[in-house]
Amino acid sequence: MGGVKRSIIKMATFTGSMAPVLVLWLAMSLSGTWAVDKGNFKTCDQSAFCKRQRALKPGDSPYRALLETMELTNTRLTLQLINDNNKVRLLLELYRLQGNMTRVKINELKPLKPRFEVPDVLITEPSTEPLSLLSQDENGVVLSLGTESQRVIISARPFRLDIMEGPEVLMSLNSRGLLAFEHLRMRKDTFSYKVTSTVASKEEEEKVDGMWEETFKSHSDSKPNGPSAISLDFSLPGVEHVYGIPEHADTLRLKTTDNGDPYRLYNLDVFQYELYNPMALYGAVPVMLAHKAQRTTGIFWLNAAETWVDISSNTAGKTVFGKMLDYVQGSSETPQTDVRWISESGIIDVFIMLGPTPKDVFSQYASLTGTQSFPPLAAVGYHQCRWNYNDQEDVASVDAGFDEHDIPYDYIWLDIEHTDGKRYFTWDSHKFASPKEMLQALEDKKRKMVAIVDPHIKVDSNYKIHNEIRNKGFYIKNKDGGDYEGWCWPGSAGYPDFTRPDMRAWWASMFAYDQYEGTAENLYTWNDMNEPSVFNGPEVTMHKDAVHGAWEHRDVHNLYGLYVQMATAEGQIQRSGGVERPFVLTRAFFAGSQRYGAVWTGDNAAEWDHLKVSIPMCLSLGLVGISFCGADVGGFFKSPSTELLVRWYQTGAYQPFFRAHAHLDTPRREPWLFGPENTALIRDVVRQRYTLLPYWYQQFYHAYRTGEPIMRPLWVEYPQDPATFALDDEFLIGKDLLVHPVTEEGARGVTAYLPGKDQVWFDVHTFQKHNGAQSLYIPVTMSSIPVFQRGGSIIPRKMRVRRSSSCMTHDPYTLYVALNLQRTAEGELYIDDGHTFNYEKKEFIHRRLSFAKNMLSSVNLATDAEFSTGSWIERIVILGASKPSKVTLKTADGQESQLEFDFDASMSVLTLRKPGVNAGLDWNVMLQ
Amino acid sequence: FIILPPDMHFHMIIVAVFWFGFVDSRKIRGISSSYKRFFRERKSFLCIDGSKIIPFEQVNDDYCDCEDGSDEPGTSACPQGRFYCTNLGFRPHYIPSSRVNDGICDCCDASDEYNSHAHCQNACWNLGQRERAYVEGQMRTLDEGLQLKQQLIEEGVLLWREKQAQLRELQQVAEDLQTKLEERRSRKQEADRLKEQTPRPPEAGDGQNSTVTGTFKLLDSNKDGSITVDEVQAKVALVHDEERVLSEDEAVALLGGDHQMDLTTFQHTLWDILTNGGRVKVSALSNTFLFVFLSDLREKLAIDYGPDWEFLFLNSQCYKLKVYEYTYTLCPFNQVTQQSTAGTEVSLGRWGMWEGPPKNQYGRMVYENGEPCWQGGSRSTTVTLTCGTETALRSVKEPSKCQYIMDFQTPVACQPVLKQRGIHSEL
Repeated sequence: MGGVKRSIIKMATFTGSMAPVLVLWLAMSLSGTWAVDKGNFKTCDQSAFCKRQRALKPGDSPYRALLETMELTNTRLTLQLINDNNKVRLLLELYRLQGNMTRVKINELKPLKPRFEVPDVLITEPSTEPLSLLSQDENGVVLSLGTESQRVIISARPFRLDIMEGPEVLMSLNSRGLLAFEHLRMRKDTFSYKVTSTVASKEEEEKVDGMWEETFKSHSDSKPNGPSAISLDFSLPGVEHVYGIPEHADTLRLKTTDNGDPYRLYNLDVFQYELYNPMALYGAVPVMLAHKAQRTTGIFWLNAAETWVDISSNTAGKTVFGKMLDYVQGSSETPQTDVRWISESGIIDVFIMLGPTPKDVFSQYASLTGTQSFPPLAAVGYHQCRWNYNDQEDVASVDAGFDEHDIPYDYIWLDIEHTDGKRYFTWDSHKFASPKEMLQALEDKKRKMVAIVDPHIKVDSNYKIHNEIRNKGFYIKNKDGGDYEGWCWPGSAGYPDFTRPDMRAWWASMFAYDQYEGTAENLYTWNDMNEPSVFNGPEVTMHKDAVHGAWEHRDVHNLYGLYVQMATAEGQIQRSGGVERPFVLTRAFFAGSQRYGAVWTGDNAAEWDHLKVSIPMCLSLGLVGISFCGADVGGFFKSPSTELLVRWYQTGAYQPFFRAHAHLDTPRREPWLFGPENTALIRDVVRQRYTLLPYWYQQFYHAYRTGEPIMRPLWVEYPQDPATFALDDEFLIGKDLLVHPVTEEGARGVTAYLPGKDQVWFDVHTFQKHNGAQSLYIPVTMSSIPVFQRGGSIIPRKMRVRRSSSCMTHDPYTLYVALNLQRTAEGELYIDDGHTFNYEKKEFIHRRLSFAKNMLSSVNLATDAEFSTGSWIERIVILGASKPSKVTLKTADGQESQLEFDFDASMSVLTLRKPGVNAGLDWNVMLQ
Repeated sequence: FIILPPDMHFHMIIVAVFWFGFVDSRKIRGISSSYKRFFRERKSFLCIDGSKIIPFEQVNDDYCDCEDGSDEPGTSACPQGRFYCTNLGFRPHYIPSSRVNDGICDCCDASDEYNSHAHCQNACWNLGQRERAYVEGQMRTLDEGLQLKQQLIEEGVLLWREKQAQLRELQQVAEDLQTKLEERRSRKQEADRLKEQTPRPPEAGDGQNSTVTGTFKLLDSNKDGSITVDEVQAKVALVHDEERVLSEDEAVALLGGDHQMDLTTFQHTLWDILTNGGRVKVSALSNTFLFVFLSDLREKLAIDYGPDWEFLFLNSQCYKLKVYEYTYTLCPFNQVTQQSTAGTEVSLGRWGMWEGPPKNQYGRMVYENGEPCWQGGSRSTTVTLTCGTETALRSVKEPSKCQYIMDFQTPVACQPVLKQRGIHSEL
């Protein structure tokens, strides 16, 4: 659901006669151009601090390291920096962190008042490793970063940091002199200014607009603390590809920003967002990955204020021919990407993740902010949503529709209209008069429901939630100390201060079954509008001078959405006494949001380009830890053509979060409304999703354990193949499935790049084998979804697709063994109860499946874990096999039996019939 | 293989008792008796599509061998399979194999959950009872409905004739008036030409008493013997602006400052004004009204009221239903409206057309071009007509924004064909 609908808001403000409404309506429909109103959102030029900082050009830094102030303890180095222009001193802290990371913190040495440091994002205070001094002179210091020939060189004048490995510079900080730190100061027109003005430098006296007050459209930002921006540049020698810093509706590979605005990170509810631009969207993760064939590194800029990221490159704009010419003539400078981060407030706190492999970077980042929460298995199934399913009868009939058309689904969703007048935690007493009965009816089919709970609370003295929040003083305050009020779905609304732990605890307690009436175990939650969206606020969000205790909203803005989801997930855990896993979807997010649930790409549109961009958007999120990502299948705004809808189902079925959703104003689009042929196409792809649930679930478990993305760009697995570096029309699920969805209207074929020299890939539908390291043209029809299984992998599936994932719990597995050229294959099988936290108590089955020397075996990967399953091995399909004369199954008790088999010589597919062994036991199968 | 939804109607009505005698000692789970012959126990089993021969032990052994799923009628092994619920005491039917042992009771005889954690009770007898009662009820309704329909058809024919007569009368009056108007015009022109004084009022037409009553009746939609503001607003419009509904004030003015008017008053006031008005202007106006009545009537008579004019009686009727905070009004062949408790009324569409499927052409009506919607387009309503003994609006829904669906019950929707089909589908 969601976006701001300006027309509705305006309408709602006219509570009087009908006439103005009609006039307005006409005005709207006449000027109904379909796009984001860019004028509602700031450009860098309109954001005073960005403009000030960007005016600073590369050159000699005014900062100098005062080496005599250096203190080196076992765990950290501190050093003062001085700005030679204004003599303000900064304190640099440098840490060597476990797992090949370096943390650099820069704050004012003596700030006028404390500057905000982001809490609750790091899962723990990172463990440090000893630093040692290698050499020192008046020009600088060389420190050793542990054992691997890694050093940090601190140059004194001007100040810069270079991180080296052997002779190679991995990353340089402030090498372009863009370190900037707007120190806190007294306002000049005050008395204290007069006192201190005699010592103030010339630069300081210069009047710069927007330092103490800023106006955007009709909104003014009072800025009581004055200017407080920070900035730092990073140079990445040898790097031509940078990724990450979601959320933007842009390509996977980030573009240079020299000729336009920087990428912006500021959680905003953007109505009808446009594609392929650096505008801010609903969420922000200030993490960038830099990749070259030999190494992947990452920069994590831990700051929750409005942030802009500039990217420039010395090779950008050069043609391939130009690059070649450079190479031939030997005149080439090393390619290099330069990045610059600018934030409005807070401190510089940056984690430099030194890889060297992509997976090292994922684990480094995971060690800081945690991994993807392990969702209930059902949440990996298909979700049916619409703004809105109108009433209980509607829910029942949609539910019945799925059975009638034999399409599985796990969750049906209720948007804002299910509440009593947009009062969250309540139900419309007519339309949802007996929610428990409705939930029980779903439970009877082993299905679940999600109801929306947004963080804006209707100001209504008859509303319990509002009264409690107000009485407890939990609302965010406006600059004058009163409760902040903004306009949102319910009309005038307050915004609980989720940055307060006591507020979050209270919020969590509201999900208890006796508090949130009409709920049951199979009801889960959706947090929308948590940027937060404020219809009448600046840029449709909260005023930056609103107050969260000691801090301004300016400092914590990008964190708000994370806290909302955190508190909601905690509520779900608590209501079950800590037994059941939560499922919470959020629109706004920050670094660390992966720990609390799923994320979707917000209010997209039913257009082919929106389908296409869903791939890079989710890939970018995966790279920064948020794996559980999806886009509204079908597109939220507007109505998709049948072809687009089918293609979107085919794409969404192979993305981690698979939910169809539609705007209130669009015609119905449940899967069976487009004729039997299209119903069959959609049924088929939803069923493909369900057969693959064991593989998906295992990928989620893996993501939870390692922080690796589930949906991942090809370069993550093929880091040395430059052909993969910019691919974002295809992707991998885990490392074994390659998907190239059809995202072109009227497509007759797609060209997929199959990576890996000496690799083979098997079409999962036809079992045809293709060689790696080639671009393959694949003719497609409406039923085609090009998906390939990597030779060398084993993928477990459940082929008995039932009404919902829970109905499939005890079903047997079919193992798809795809042999590589060495005739080996490996895979895993993970099984647990699918919904509790008992996996944390080692109640699961985790097995390694491997095929080598004509023997397929299942061995225990977690001998300390225990779980029993009724599931068994129904079938084994070996792709790229040759025909055996005999197949022998050997079980753990030493018993041997012959298996029947079937061999398809045309595709070299060997199918072993009914091994029948329990999936949790040891066994092997020998081909002779 | 086709997976048959449980309610497919072409199953034979076979009272399950007959089944009893056929049940084999060696049960092949999940098949109907008509398939028994394929499963006679032999050494081997031929997949029903003939594609493969398998050992008979592999029938229902929880592994799918046949492409067509025929070897596993009683398990969930085959993706295309189906399981036969015998449902003794109720209606036998097929379910997809994927519903066998999925922990959900699908067959009322509980036969699909023979190896699951679900505790299914045999509910067939109760269901059968209920079903039979329901079907009986439906049959009664249908019989009663058909009788009522017959009456309504008869009334419809009468009404049709009456309306036709009225039309002819009005046409006559209109022609007369037209003639008079022309006369007057020519007289006026002559007068003007002769520069004489203002024209005299036109004389009253002869023999107009019948048309007085006719016009009154036409205006008096609810036939309560008096014309109200609503009725004037509904029927009277200006010729040059037919779309605009008269305002309440205008209507009240026409009713002589009152809110209603009986025939006598009508004859001496409004009718008088309309036809014998003292001034040319008013007289012309009256003429205008009459043409609107006429075109209104012509339009109405041009509508398809079914082969026997059985739907004619719905014309000029309105049916209301309150759903949550809204009151919906369906005026068949005219319009659909929605009124909120706050009082604002919104048009959900004006009469469009019949839009039933070919087999049941009069099963659905469409009302279009109601109040415009936010994202473009306008509100519309689809009305499904179902057989019932009363004529009433049964439900209103808005599945998508601005697209309403109504369930409208009336005896005239009862069809003898339905009666036969009903037995099959409902038993």
